[in-house]
Amino acid sequence: MINNITLGQYVPGNSVLHRLDPRTKIIWTAALMVAIFMVDSWNEYVMMGSFTLILLLISGVPVKQTLRGIKPLVFILLLTALLNIFFVEGTVIFRIGPVKATYEGLISAVKLFLRLVMLVTTASLMTLTTTPMSMTDGIEKLLKPFGRIGVPSHEIAMMMSIALRFIPTLLEEAQRIMKAQSSRGADFDTGNIFQRLKSFIPVLIPLFVSAFKRADELAEAMESRCYRGGEGRTRLKTINFTRLDLMASLFVIVFLMLMFGYRFIF
Amino acid sequence: MENTKTRYIAKVAILSALATVIMFIETPIPFMPPFLKLDLSELIVMLGAFALGPLAGVLIELVKNLVHVAFTITGGIGELANFIVGCAYVVPAAIIYSRNKNIKTAIIGLIAGSISMVVVAAFMNYLVLIPLYVKIFAEQFGTTFDKSLQSIVQTSAQKNSGIIDLKTLILFGVIPFNAIKVVIISLLTFITYKKVSPILKV
Repeated sequence: MINNITLGQYVPGNSVLHRLDPRTKIIWTAALMVAIFMVDSWNEYVMMGSFTLILLLISGVPVKQTLRGIKPLVFILLLTALLNIFFVEGTVIFRIGPVKATYEGLISAVKLFLRLVMLVTTASLMTLTTTPMSMTDGIEKLLKPFGRIGVPSHEIAMMMSIALRFIPTLLEEAQRIMKAQSSRGADFDTGNIFQRLKSFIPVLIPLFVSAFKRADELAEAMESRCYRGGEGRTRLKTINFTRLDLMASLFVIVFLMLMFGYRFIF
Repeated sequence: MENTKTRYIAKVAILSALATVIMFIETPIPFMPPFLKLDLSELIVMLGAFALGPLAGVLIELVKNLVHVAFTITGGIGELANFIVGCAYVVPAAIIYSRNKNIKTAIIGLIAGSISMVVVAAFMNYLVLIPLYVKIFAEQFGTTFDKSLQSIVQTSAQKNSGIIDLKTLILFGVIPFNAIKVVIISLLTFITYKKVSPILKV
């Protein structure tokens, strides 16, 4: 059950989106998500939808990959859509006993569906085209200005990269310990919720202890290589704000201005 | 072995990785909506905060959620909520425990943390999450904000006659769930704590 978790959702590629500075992507993804929340009329839905589609096509990520992100949402999506169809007041299309489906409800369900799909697509486009490592670098750079008020940006980024590096190792270890306990007769899959939770304790304890030991070894290794914080540290891969980023930023800004400027004119 | 800054960074980082791992193998409570999952990773964060202090608890919580953003589809909103509620649980407990490290302060800390977590979660639901949810999903669809809020409350009211407005919805819906969740996690933390306390007290 643990095997099928890949680290992040990154899909390798060399598209414009892949080559952008992670900072650019983080900032504009956030802006676009806010914009999606503000989308209201059908015109805006069409504009926002085509923009999302264009981004998706530029990214070169297989559409199937993006749609995978929507799967876990299907349940909530269907439930809310049904609630909308049957509970929004308006022109009745048909009724089953006391419940009636309305035209307005149907429209709002469709809008809700589009909105969620756009949100998920935009959010996953960032994680699909950015490696977790360069995302970490981006977060470090973005947090840097807050260093003056005591936010340890380098340390947080360091912890993130160590954490990312060790997640697969610890997953493997968790799996090994679970197998070891199973071979001693432990049972993780039957019984009620409390029994199942209790069966996890013999896994958690060795996992925790070994994580602590591993951290000590890691600290030793870092110190013997003279790690001493972020000051004057150079890196293998630097991230740069290039002309491509400038153009991409302008592209998004112009789009957002067109879309919401249009609201004020009409 | 002295406790240097490097050692602190390494410990917080690896515990964050472990918490993220646990987040993946979490067990959902049967018959509960998937978004109300039981998050066992708080157990690791709590033990880490017991061992390294309240600030480490906040850092583990932060790194865990930042790393989790790379896997997310909600664009960080769920992670932000998890961070706030998680801190509300871990920080009071770690402060109480760090004054005097023994089994009594551990129990008092866990109880205080549980109460604070339930209170913060209820406030957050009341002030932010439910209004935001209603706004996003219902406002522009021909119904007004108050009306759609009312219909959410009414739907719940059919199941439980005690629910008459948003306050009681949270009182009867959100608080009991969070209370059950936090009690289970605290009990598990306590059982685990007894076994690992020798390495925590260094």
